[in-house]
Formats: sequence, structure tokens, C-alpha cells
Amino acid sequence: MGDLTRRLGRLRPAAENFLSKADLTAAREGRRRFLRTSLLAAGAMTGAPLRSQAGEADPAIVNLPPWTTSPGRPVAARPYGSPSEHRSALQRRGPRGLSPLGANSASFCPLQGLFGIITPSGLHYERHHHGWHDIDPRRHRLMINAAHSGLIAESRIYTVDDLMRLPPVSRIHFIECSGNTGTERIRATAPTVQYTHGLLSCSEFTGVPLRLLLEECGVDFRRARFVLAEGADGASLTRTIPMALIESGEVLVAYGQNGEALRPENGFPLRLVVPGVQGVSWVKWLRRIEVGDAPYATREESLHYIDLMPDGQHRQYTSVQECKSVITTPSGGQTLLSQGFHNITGLAWSGRGRVGGVDVSVDGGRNWRSARLEAPVLAKALTRFNFDWVWNGQAAVLQSRAIDETGYVQPAHAELRAARGTGSIYHNHAIQSWRVAPNGEVVNVQVV
Amino acid sequence: MSKWFEWVGLALICVAGSGWAMDRYPGVGRAATVAEVRAWDIDVRADFRGLPEGEGSVVRGRELYGAQCAACHGSAGESDAFFTPLVGGTSAHDIRSGHARALAGSAAAQRTTFMRLATLSTLFDYIQRAMPWETPKSLAPNDVYALTAYLLHLAGIVPEAFTLSHSNMANVQSRLPNRHGMTTDHGLWPVGEAGDGDMGNGGIPDIQAERCMNECRAVHGH
Ligand code: HEC
Repeated sequence: MGDLTRRLGRLRPAAENFLSKADLTAAREGRRRFLRTSLLAAGAMTGAPLRSQAGEADPAIVNLPPWTTSPGRPVAARPYGSPSEHRSALQRRGPRGLSPLGANSASFCPLQGLFGIITPSGLHYERHHHGWHDIDPRRHRLMINAAHSGLIAESRIYTVDDLMRLPPVSRIHFIECSGNTGTERIRATAPTVQYTHGLLSCSEFTGVPLRLLLEECGVDFRRARFVLAEGADGASLTRTIPMALIESGEVLVAYGQNGEALRPENGFPLRLVVPGVQGVSWVKWLRRIEVGDAPYATREESLHYIDLMPDGQHRQYTSVQECKSVITTPSGGQTLLSQGFHNITGLAWSGRGRVGGVDVSVDGGRNWRSARLEAPVLAKALTRFNFDWVWNGQAAVLQSRAIDETGYVQPAHAELRAARGTGSIYHNHAIQSWRVAPNGEVVNVQVV
Repeated sequence: MSKWFEWVGLALICVAGSGWAMDRYPGVGRAATVAEVRAWDIDVRADFRGLPEGEGSVVRGRELYGAQCAACHGSAGESDAFFTPLVGGTSAHDIRSGHARALAGSAAAQRTTFMRLATLSTLFDYIQRAMPWETPKSLAPNDVYALTAYLLHLAGIVPEAFTLSHSNMANVQSRLPNRHGMTTDHGLWPVGEAGDGDMGNGGIPDIQAERCMNECRAVHGH
């Protein structure tokens, strides 16, 4: 049992279904027994902490395992490698209910099991409006045209090859669906951080600034203040993109993601990258850019991705993802198996620039202390934070609150509601709370 | 001579920024042909720029809808089996006021397409590019007019003996129940330094949260 406890560590990183209920009970009991024996041992060796001691020996040490006593597998056995089988429970997961059409749905990124700030491409969240295809890049084209004459000098066509010949840039940015955390607007609903905050990912994207392509077409930036981006999928999803961000050079026509080509689910062979702006604007399978002098009122900015206010008006063209953070461990569905030191870790981000700081509370928002921000701290990218915590076995409510470089403070639910009510499923960036029960179980709760 | 050179150089920079194609990367990309742009440029803007010529009646729309749409959206656009209902939740009062009244106050049980729709172009554009689900982009412009007309009829906006066309779309727009239902008075649209010609309130946030560190507000229920 002591062996099981040590193998698991001090935290059950659910809800990836690593452990059955019986395993969990065994682990807790084992932990208690293990603590008792090690405490006794510690008492016996006061003053000589580094010296080895007599007593029980860890079978993981004294019984040499097969990987130490036999040859391993050859090189290139898996030509495009895959994660360890021992991590296979860490997956993106679809909606919890039944969905009549999986091609019009979303899957959530398992934030609770990730390190640092980069999302492995295979775990990137998905949101498709008409399913995904694995597009043949040789048959894919990017067209740039204009709503009417006088906005650009020439409509142009680029192949994927053409775009890869142009001078590329690589940038690390987060992408968040504006519906992320949408289930939590009124009450705590989802069981894990994967489902509360998992419509969020962060990658290094490589591509060509859209500004460069528009300049090649001879754009008139004074008249052309809006751009329509259109996908090559069945929905040919469209969304209006602000010219201000394109002019700044931030918006990319990307083909690379984390050193490899975009994954098909993320827009292979081309997608738009619109830093700081909600995911729906990062049009996947990008086939066309239309330069215009008015917004387009497309379906994804007129019937959806609009924010209902208490007076019945909808805010249209809401785009920026405001400053937000979440603790990813300990988080809902996980279990603390012992008292003592626990690192609280999480992610913070802002669509307006760099994260300036993160505060953490372990008493439900009464008192706060600053967390450590880990490098790199990049504009419009996820930032990892860590916070030392010694758990004394009592109930605790863990929260994080991010502040960005503009001074914007992530709001509490009450502050969000006072401004916007609870009618919208979009743009919930309120502070998230996780309650740690005395038995170590962590659950999603809402602190207003 | 040198003065003349500077002047020409300056002039070239100016025109490059205002409507002349640059060719800094020779051999990369090419001009699009008219036929190519026509094949892909199907979007219809709120001011109806991009609308194809054509027409379709409510009666023709009913036939098409029964054959190609009703299985998923219900015979009267009421089904929520595959998606939220297309029709319902609006009234004759809304058609006069331009505000879907059921949206205000407590959250409406079900928000239908017509409760939200503020721009008729959106409905036409979306059906044309994305529906029917299994065979998007298979509808001819006249079919899209007919289907749009039928949905407008189901929502009580046009009579049964009505034919929708490129020339009366704007009239029908002025009867949409939620046509005044959108606002861009918010800070979530990114604006440039100049700001002119852009939308929104200039990027000013609507929430100023407090960064209290010690003995902060009482904690309310879980
Ligand atoms: C196989 C089922 C199916 C069929 C058949 C179908 N639709 Fe749809 N329709 C959907 C789904 C699913 C969505 C939502 C897609 C999304 O969310 O991206 C949708 C969305 C729509 C919308 C947008 C509603 C909104 O509020 O956003 C309209 C309008 C629409 N369909 C019209 C039609 C018409 C007209 C037809 C027939 C020509 C049709 N549909 C046939 C499944 C179907």
C-alpha cells in the first residue's frame, strides 16, 4: 500500500479516471500508514537527515524493473512519436451530454494535466461549426479580394507554397473560445477545470503577417477598416476582423503550430491568428480575405457570439478576451491525499497584453497574496503562475485573480453581474473557486 | 536632380500606401481572375452588398423547406432536436418596435433565430453558404430567396402570397422583430490609434474591479 501511495504522489490528478474508488481508499489508508512509519523513522534519526536509515525498503528501488534489466525498443519504432501510454487518460473530451451532431460541437483541453504554457497540438481544444476535413494543401488557395473597388488595387491568389516562401514570423499566443466558462455564469456546473476552462489553448504559431499580404494587394488602410475572413469548410465560416489589429502586424495567416504544420482540427493548411481576440475569429481552413469598409454582420457575429444584456440588447462584435486566470491544480475532481506542502499552479492571460500579476486566495477571497509568474511572460499568451501552500487539512476555497499590464483586474462574479447580468453565455472571465474538503476532495463552487 | 529623385521616391511611397499593389516579393502569388473571385465571393453584407439577383415565393419555399430542411428544423421551424428553434418567441408588437421583447429581463427559456436576427442579410448569407447541412452551397439563389421568404412567413413577418427578391429585401428588413436589438457601445472591439472609422467605445472596459488584498468583502454562499 505504501508503494501505491508513493507511486501516486500526494494528489489524485483526476478526472482522468486513473483510480477507482477502491484504489483511492487504499491510497488514503496507505498514505496514513506510510506517514506513520516515516514519522517514526524521522524521530529516530534526528540530527542526521541525509544519512540512510534502517527499515522498510521501497520495492520500486530494490526490485529492478524490466526497463532496467532488458533492452528497449529501436529508434523510429514510432516515426511520428506519441505520448507515453501511462498518460493515455489525458485526452480532450467532448461535451458531457449527448450531442446530435458531433461535427457542430466542441472538445475541451485537459488543462489539469498540462505543464508550462504550450498546449500539445493533439490536446488543443476544438470547436467546429461544420466538422473538419484533412484538406489537400495542393488544392487549397487563399484569395484576397475587396467588397468593392477603391479598397485594394488588385485581387490576388496565393497557394500554400507561395505563403511558405514569404518571410515568416513565429509568435506564442493563447486562443480562447468566448463561450469558455459559459456554463459557470449563474452557478458552479462543470466538474473539472477541463470543462470549466478547457476551451483554451496556447501555441507557437508560424506564418505571414496579413498586413504584408494586404500591402501586396495595395490596400488603402484609411478606407478599409474591416476585413472578412472566410473558411473553406462546409459552413465557410465568416467573421469580421478589425483592421487595427491587422495594421499592427499581429494578425497572421498561419501554417505552423508548435513546430509542425497546423493539425487538421486546428485549420490545416491555413488559419488566421488574431491575438487577444476570441477563437471564432481565428478562421480555420482559411480560403478568403475580403477587404471592406463596413462590418459584415455574419451569422457568427449576429446570431451567435453576441452578448445579451439585461435590457434585451445584444452587444455585437465583442471580440477581446479580457484578463482572466484559473487554478489548474488543485482543481475540481482532484483529491489531495495528504496534508503538507502543495504547489498551487494555474494559468493567467489577457487579450489586452501581458499579465502583470496574479493573486491567490486560499480562504475564498478574504485575503490574497501574490503568486510567482514563471517566464516567459508574453503579450496575449498564457502565463504560468505558482504559489506555495501548506495544507493543514481544513476546508479551504482556492481562487486566483489576474491583473494585466493595462491595470485591468479580473472581476468577481458579483462585479461581472453588476455590469452585464447573467443572460449571456459569452465572455465569462470571473474569478473561479475550488473548494478543498477536509477529506481532500476538490469541487467546483461559485463564490459571488 | 537629387531633389527630383527624392520627390519621386516620396510620391511612390505615398501611392503604395493608398491603392497600388506592391511587388516586394516577385514571383509569389498572382492576380485573381474575375471568374475566380465570382466563384468564391458569395458573402452578403448588412447593406445587401453582394446580394445576387433573383426571387423566390413563400409557396416555393414551403416545398423546398419540406424536402430539405424540415427533418432537422421541424415543419414550422420549431424543432430543437438538432439546433435551437428557428421560429418563435416574437410578436406583432416586436415587428412594430424592432425589439424582441422576450429578450429583456429574466433569461428567456429558448432564444430562437428570429428573436435575435437584426439583419436579414445574415439569414440569406448563412443559408446560401452553409445549408442544408449535408449539402452546403447546393442551393441556387432563387432557392435561397424562397427559403428565406418561407421562414419570414413562418415568423409572421410576410404574408403567404409574398415573393422575396433582391429589390424588396430592404423593405422586409424594416419589419424584422429584433432589428434594433444590437449595440456596438462596448469596449471589446479592438481599435487603432486613430480610431476613426472603427467601431465600439474606443476599448474602454465596462468593469473596474477592486484589487483588495486583506480582509476583503464577505464571502457569500457556495
Ligand atoms: C441535418 C440537419 C439539418 C438540415 C437538413 C438543415 N439544417 Fe439548418 N442547421 C442545422 C444545424 C446543426 C445548425 C447549426 C449549425 C451551427 O451551429 O453551426 C443549423 C443552422 C441553421 C440556421 C441558423 C440558425 C441560427 O440561429 O444560427 C438556419 C437559418 C438554417 N439552419 C436553415 C436551414 C435551411 C433553410 C435548411 C434547408 C435548406 C436547413 N437548415 C437544413 C441542421 C440542419
